[in-house]
Amino acid sequence: MSEENNEEMEVEIEDVSDNGSQEKIIDELKTQLKQEQEKTASYEKKLQYLLADFENLKKRTELDIQNRVNSALDSMMLKFLSIYDDFVRAKDVLTKQKINTDGLSAILKNMDLFLSENDVTPIEALGEIFNPQLHEAISVKEDSSLDDNTITAEIRKGYILQNRVIRPSLVEISKKT
Amino acid sequence: MTKIIGIDLGTSNSAAAVMMGGKPTLIPAAEGTTVGGKAFPSVVAFTKDGQLLVGEPARRQAVTNPTGTIVAAKRKMGSDYIFKINDKEYKPQQISAFILQKIKRDAEAFVGEKIEKAVITVPAYFDDNQRQATKDAGQIAGLEVVRIINEPTAASLAFGLDKAKQDMKILVFDLGGGTLDVTIMEMGGGVFEVMSTSGDTQLGGTDMDKIIIDYIIDAFRKSTGIDLSKDNAAMVRVREAAERAKIELSSVMETDINLPFVSYDQTTGPKNLEMKLTRSKLEDLINPIVERCKPSMTKALEDAKLSPSDITKIVLVGGPTRIPMVKKFVASVLGKEPESGVDPMEAVALGAGIQAGIIAGDVTSDIVLLDVTPLTLGVEVLGGLREPLIERNTTIPTSKSKVFTTAADNQTAVTVHIVQGERPMATDNVSLGSFNLSGIPPAPRGIPQIEVKFDLDANGILNVVAKDLGTQKEATITITASTKLSKEEIEKLKKDAEVYADQDKKKKEEIEIKNEAENFIYATEKLINQDLKDKVTQEQGIKVTNAIKDLKDVLDKGSAEIKPKLDTLKTIVNEISTELYKKTSPPPGSGSSGTGPQGATGDESAGQNAAGAQ
Repeated sequence: MSEENNEEMEVEIEDVSDNGSQEKIIDELKTQLKQEQEKTASYEKKLQYLLADFENLKKRTELDIQNRVNSALDSMMLKFLSIYDDFVRAKDVLTKQKINTDGLSAILKNMDLFLSENDVTPIEALGEIFNPQLHEAISVKEDSSLDDNTITAEIRKGYILQNRVIRPSLVEISKKT
Repeated sequence: MTKIIGIDLGTSNSAAAVMMGGKPTLIPAAEGTTVGGKAFPSVVAFTKDGQLLVGEPARRQAVTNPTGTIVAAKRKMGSDYIFKINDKEYKPQQISAFILQKIKRDAEAFVGEKIEKAVITVPAYFDDNQRQATKDAGQIAGLEVVRIINEPTAASLAFGLDKAKQDMKILVFDLGGGTLDVTIMEMGGGVFEVMSTSGDTQLGGTDMDKIIIDYIIDAFRKSTGIDLSKDNAAMVRVREAAERAKIELSSVMETDINLPFVSYDQTTGPKNLEMKLTRSKLEDLINPIVERCKPSMTKALEDAKLSPSDITKIVLVGGPTRIPMVKKFVASVLGKEPESGVDPMEAVALGAGIQAGIIAGDVTSDIVLLDVTPLTLGVEVLGGLREPLIERNTTIPTSKSKVFTTAADNQTAVTVHIVQGERPMATDNVSLGSFNLSGIPPAPRGIPQIEVKFDLDANGILNVVAKDLGTQKEATITITASTKLSKEEIEKLKKDAEVYADQDKKKKEEIEIKNEAENFIYATEKLINQDLKDKVTQEQGIKVTNAIKDLKDVLDKGSAEIKPKLDTLKTIVNEISTELYKKTSPPPGSGSSGTGPQGATGDESAGQNAAGAQ
């Protein structure tokens, strides 16, 4: 396109002889200049948008990576916790049967260490007041001796990884009759 | 240019999406990913102490606060129904507004800017009242609802059906947690028109879960006599195991359900639940529910006055449609395979996001319209192989360069042949043009360095420059048609590459081994005759010469014959050089002269340029 423009200009510059056409040329050049200025402005705007988009993309990408890492970590921890739960159950059962559980206790201790090293902390439940951000109520027990919404039984332990509730505690809570 | 979000305001779950870099992206709920993925339960609750809860926390407290918890408010939209909670009255649209407010907050956190406008989806059967109520809900939540679109339309958008050139009849089969909606639409020129709707408000994935759970409990009772359904803790585990088994059986034929210490019997001790569930058993179990979907489909077809064969496209929506049996069922009723490629759980939200993007101008905006090169651009090298420079799907404008060298001694010119396509042999691709770079000073093969630079601009115009780095001499060609292939041609080229992949790979390996052998012969001859002339014993010289001759004899006989001979020659050369190293500590023939017997092929910077015009 720029080549065409150049050609046009050359042709017109050849007959600069009279004033009328000179003004015409100036007018045309002005129009052209205006068009070019508008184009520049629109390009500038586009460029700004692009730069902004790019900056946003960078931030978004960082966040995406973090989220993906978190979600992979969460799902792996959840699977580990379900096996951990089985060990706890095994220990409970063996204790009931009066079988020595020292070995199991040692395994559980190692698992506890692994959890705390990975910033996984158990959620306090029993005796606490129910908090839907941390606990999930699956049954209600009538009990006038307790404040409403006191947790009376923990059906499954809940956990927090860093600051995310990866598994809410499943609890039974009290209601005044 | 502010972002507009698309919202799937569902009966049991809600989700939202927004265009990000030209693609609809689901907005994650602030409470994190749950069973429902990035969606969250459409539950609103008011606690005794006056707290408002929305989503996952509201669901978690539902049993403790049945009178203060509202589920499925969507079913009351547009009616005069009033929710009375803690002496306060709420219209259904106010309850929906709480859900929309949460979505607005989550979206603002995700996008990083204020969100003021939204597209919201509604079922196709919603009347004007219900649509108006949905709009009102948006307004209460501080969102200008720029458009209300039908859920099946949104799903179709997510599958890109609006872009089809021909007119279509689309059946959308939406099986959610608790409802089935069947919608038949007519699409022409990107405009969707509902022809009929049908459904069942008491049919969905929850029924399937219940059947699977009952089956597990039954099986356990039969083998142990213990009823798990009375045991809260056990039921939590059974429910999770059933859910997991259902999901797993969509991809495998058999899964184990394994719940150690699920129960304890005072006399007989601990009980473990161990069982196998096969896909065919699962299908037996859910078959009655799947069959119940048929009347709704038949009715929708009847109302639209269509026969199954009139349906051009099938769109599946909702989690349960991920189950292979459900897919098969729908396909068998209509005699056609459903569309695939979009998660049926996310389709409605993503489609709403696309619609929002179209309105906001995100989709058609030339700012985000960056093109990619559909096919790989490369040059032909020694043996007729293609060396890629710009890989397909590279965003343009882009520029890449590689350094090549000569294939023969004293070669003074090279031909740069530019090809486009995915096949490893240059001749199997589309030839875009070629040119010569001459005036290369005579030198042994492998010495000259010729840089080939591809510059592909935003308009798809390819400029190729070959430059002898020794003399700085250049030659160039401009190809304007590098991206002008039709869609069909591009697809054909890609398909060919897949079809011939194995064959091509073998051919490429054949040529590579031949190239390697030739290079090795050249390098060895040079080594023996020049660099190490006085250091090699006569015996060694004869051994090498014979091995070279053997290798030369089989050069045209394929890799199976070349390989052992090449290995023999390599071993002999290695023996010689090892001995030499033992005698003299400084390595012989060191430096950049490329005389080492290591073949140059495979090394990008030393890839040999082919058809050198002498």
